[in-house]
Parts: sequence; C-alpha cells; structure tokens
Amino acid sequence: MGTTTETARTTTVLYVIVVVVAVLISTVLAPVVWNATTSSSDDDPSVAVITLRGGTSDANVNAITDDLRDARTNDSVEAVVFRIDSSGGGVAPSEELYLAVNRTAQEMPVVAYVEGVAASGGYYGIVPADQIFVKSSSTVGSVGVIVQAPLSTVDQQERAAQSYIRSGPDKALTTRDKLRNRMETLQNAFLNTVMTHRGENITLDRQGVSRADTYLGPTAVRNGFADRIGDLDAAIEDAARRADSIDGDQYDVTYYEPPEITTGLLLAQDEIEGVDGDVVYVESSATDEFEDPVRFYYVWGVPTETVSDETEVTTDASG
Amino acid sequence: MRAGSVVKPLGVFLAVILVVLAGTAVAGVALSDGSSAAADGEDIDGQSPSHIQPENVLADADPEDGEIQLDTDAEDKRILIDTQHGNQVPEDSIQPLVEALVQRGHSVDVGASGTSDGFGTTSSYNATLQEYDAVLIVAPTTSFGESQIAGLEAYTEGGGRVVVLGEPTQYSVSSGLGSASVSPLRFGANDLTRAFGMRMGSDLLFNVDDSETDNNYKAIYANPTGSGDLSEGVDTVTFDASGHVVVPDDSDAEPIVRAAEGTQRFSTRRSGEYVTAARNGNFVLVADSTFVRDSEVYDADNEQFVSNLLAFMVTGDKPDDVPQTGGDDSGFGGGDGGGFNSTTP
Repeated sequence: MGTTTETARTTTVLYVIVVVVAVLISTVLAPVVWNATTSSSDDDPSVAVITLRGGTSDANVNAITDDLRDARTNDSVEAVVFRIDSSGGGVAPSEELYLAVNRTAQEMPVVAYVEGVAASGGYYGIVPADQIFVKSSSTVGSVGVIVQAPLSTVDQQERAAQSYIRSGPDKALTTRDKLRNRMETLQNAFLNTVMTHRGENITLDRQGVSRADTYLGPTAVRNGFADRIGDLDAAIEDAARRADSIDGDQYDVTYYEPPEITTGLLLAQDEIEGVDGDVVYVESSATDEFEDPVRFYYVWGVPTETVSDETEVTTDASG
Repeated sequence: MRAGSVVKPLGVFLAVILVVLAGTAVAGVALSDGSSAAADGEDIDGQSPSHIQPENVLADADPEDGEIQLDTDAEDKRILIDTQHGNQVPEDSIQPLVEALVQRGHSVDVGASGTSDGFGTTSSYNATLQEYDAVLIVAPTTSFGESQIAGLEAYTEGGGRVVVLGEPTQYSVSSGLGSASVSPLRFGANDLTRAFGMRMGSDLLFNVDDSETDNNYKAIYANPTGSGDLSEGVDTVTFDASGHVVVPDDSDAEPIVRAAEGTQRFSTRRSGEYVTAARNGNFVLVADSTFVRDSEVYDADNEQFVSNLLAFMVTGDKPDDVPQTGGDDSGFGGGDGGGFNSTTP
C-alpha cells in the first residue's frame, strides 16, 4: 500500500508541475494571441501627425500615402493631423495625394495644418480635410495648372520632324490648342474638387477660384480657403475633439517621420548633378536624347532659369 | 516509468495550454469585435469621386469647322502685305489669308513686288500704293512717318482698303550668357490709326468665364456690335491674347466686334466693354493678329469674320492714280525714318 500511496503522490505532484508549467507557458503565449486577435495594443487612442514638407513629388507623395494607409489600418489611430508645407508639383502625384487624404477623411477626422505653404498641388491635398488651420504667414490657394512643353513639341514641329521620323502625326507632337484643352480638363478636375469639398466655405464663386490667386492666412480664413488661425497643437486638439472614440484628453499623439526633404519642386523626375552654394544642378529626366513632350503641374512657382542643358534651381532659402 | 505515465501528463499539459490560448483568442475576438477597421479600401466612398469623372472634367473645345469663302465678283485685285514696319508676322501665319485670296485669282505681294525688302523700284511711297487695291499691315512695331500716314489717308479716301491687325504690347526674351533681357514689342502704328479716329490699346484682354472663352482665359470671345458687312454671319469670334481698340467718343470710327461680358484688362483687372475691331470708312483695325493663323482661323466664327475681311479688301474701287504722286511725295521714300524705301540695317 505504501508504494501505491507514494505512486499516487508522485503522480499528483507531476500533474501539478505539468499544469503550472503549462499555465506559465500559456501566460507567455497569451499576449501574442491577444495581439493577433485584437490588433490593438495601446490603451489610449491616438492622433497621428503626418508631415509633408516639400513638393508633391512622386517620392514624397508615396511616403505620405503610406503613412496615411498606416494610420487608417492602425486601430489606435482615431484622427489624423496633416501638417503641410508644399507648393505642389506634378499633376499625377498631386492627385494621388488628394485621393489618399480623401480616403482617410472618409474614415476618420482629418485636420490640415498649413505650416508654410499649401498652394496648388499642396492645396489640392488638403481640401478634403474637415478643418484647415493656418498661421497668418501661411499661404494657400493657387488653384490652377501650368503646362510645360519644349518648343519642339509645339512650335518647331517641322524642324523636329526632320530630325526624327515618326510613325504618326501626333507621335509626341501636339498643338497649343490641344495643350490648352488638356490643361482645361485638368483645371476642371482641380476646380471641381475644390468646389465639392469647400464650395460652401469659399466666398468666391468658381470663376473667382479659377483665377488661381494665393492668399495669406488671415485672408484665407475670411474667404473660406481655410477655417481657423492656429498652430499645430490647436490642430491636434481639434482633431481629437472630432474623433468619437477620443474622450477628453485621453489620447496619445503619434508623429510619423516626414519623408526626406527633396530639394525643390520640379526635381521629382530629375537627377541631382551637384550642389554649388544654394544652387542645385539637375540633369533633365528621361534619356539624353528625349524628354517628356509635355508636363503638367499643379504648382505654385515660376519657371527656373536654364543653364545650357542643365536646369538651375535655386533652393528656397536664399534663392 | 510506463508509457501511460508520460502520455497522460503530456496530454494534460497540452490541454491546459490549448484551453488558455483558446480562451484568450475567444476573448480577444469578442472584445475587438466592432472596433476593428474594415480592410483598407473596403466600404470607402469617394475613391472615384463624381467630380472627377470624364463627363464633369472634359473641356469643351470649339469645333474647328467652316471654310474661308470669298464670294465676290471682284477680280484681279492686288493686295500688299506690309513688311516695312518691323511687322512681327511669320509668313506662314497669314497663309490662310494668302491662299484664299490667290485661290480667287487675286495677287498678293508680301512686301512690294520686284524686291525682297522694299516697296520696289518706284521711288515714291504713293506710287507704290497706286499699284495695290488693298494693304494689309500685320503687327507693326515701328512707326509710320507723317508722309506715309498722309499717303494712306489719301489712299483710303480714294477707295483703297487698309486693314491693320495689331497686337498688344508683348515681351521678347533674349538670353545671353548667364543673363536674360526682356524687351517690349509695342504696337507701332498708333500715329496711323489716330488719323482714322482710333487707337490700339497696349493692354492684354482676358476673361475668366469659361463660357466666354475658347479654351483659355486669354482666348476671349467677341461679338458683333451691330450689323455691317464685316460682321455679317458672325455670332462669335475668338481672339487669342488680344488687345483692344480705343474709339474716342467724337470719332467717326465704328466698332465692329466687342469683347464678351466680363472681359478684363490684364494690368488693371478692370472689366469693361472693350472693342476688339473697329472700322472707319475704308480703314479697319483689329486688335489681334493671331486669329488668322491656321490654328485659330476655324475656331468659333473666325472663318466667317476672315472671309468678310477678305471681301472688304478686294471690293474696294480705287482708281490707278490714287494716291496721287506729286512734288510733295518726293520725301516719302525715306525722309521720315522708317520710310518704305529706306534701307533697314
């Protein structure tokens, strides 16, 4: 009997040990399972601050759309503050930026804070925001399009046609009329977008907006291009107040790393050749023999000077 | 140890882990239910917003149709195209006019016949004018001398037709090594047009109302001010980067077309009723020269307006001895600087 009792005790001890070890291991694994099933790890909801400083270049906009996607899919993010200092850029990435911000604004409050400039493509990107904060030194507006075409595309067709044989009359050649019509179409898209999102705020009519003027903060608040004067914190506070799941001050602020600043507005497709003081030399895009026959920009800027076949661009600091 | 004594505890071990983790999973799913976002892109409205659909953004372009027609009985008229006053006119830009005239059997001289650079072998300006039934002066940038103006006045009084296509002040950029200079190109014939009671304004016109422009704020529409030979059959003409014609109140000149409502001047941004073409007898001034180009001539009713202008040029009835050449004409060849026979550097 003694042996039997001893065996039973041993068995009991063994089971206790087994259960304890199992519970311990489970405790380690449980959080993993918990995370996998809830996907939410923070206690407090958060406001994401996403920053764009620089042109709406392909690279910048890609980074911002990634940030916005991350904010949308992260359950702890309940609102977004889009901090911007951008004079726009190519039409394609500018529109991409608009669509990404628009999508985000469909899901959660988005508040824009104009740190410096939100003009042309930059303004396109913030029109879907629920609220636009500006400083008195902020610049917004410039709802318009610029088209750039080398002379060989438009005015020197014959000369160009003699150097290169083309399979059709419209192969990389066009007319001023056609360019203007395309520009008008892009302008309509921009104007429609601005009027759809902010038509009720803006005191100007469609024609007035199409003049493509820019406005400093105080004027913008008056004419409805922006909503309020305030700083980043005011924008964050406003975004938090707009989020249903944020209760009072119970929220965190998550700053997304801004995309690395690209040097200028028009450099999106260009390779930087060298920097001399505040002058940046870039080589024109595409191949040595060809460039884009036409480029459309939602940009607030003036043409940069050309030095031989290199483009000279002054950086904004002292240019 | 027997096999059973290993299997059983192992079974319990695994069962406990399974129960705890399953419980955690159930709790996790239950708690997060309702708060998890839909997969990115699901149930999102507005990724193909209606305001950027084709029907809402595509620009309407004016159809380029119609023909330049010259249905007059006039025959064998001689037309002179002025090349002596710094005319900013690439020859191919007036080809539609030249072709239409030649097609109907008229002759066109770009510059006077006989020489490549002047009014020919005749020594006097009036003698040169005598050879032609109409003169077309496109975008002049140098001024007309007093004697030339007097000659053209006599010419129109005698039945000759003069058409001036002006341009507002433009800027040409010439770039040198490391620098660029901007120089204005001004309309040069205001002394001439003043003699006919009108003046070319220097400012550019624009209109931001899309329904009053062709495809750009600078491509303004203009409409006839009344009925007349030159506006017959014309509802709308379009001028690209046009200037305007100032017609003083006491002038005999009459407006032909006027820029559409809402048209503004570029420098002052003031709206007004801007005349873009005017006529005084046998003299016509249009405040734009580009509407005759291939790319513009079939826009709106431009082809009809151009047809009317051509008819105007070939239906004059000028005797061969007008303007008269006399002793007074001797100075016309070069005394005024910019005279037709003076050589240009």
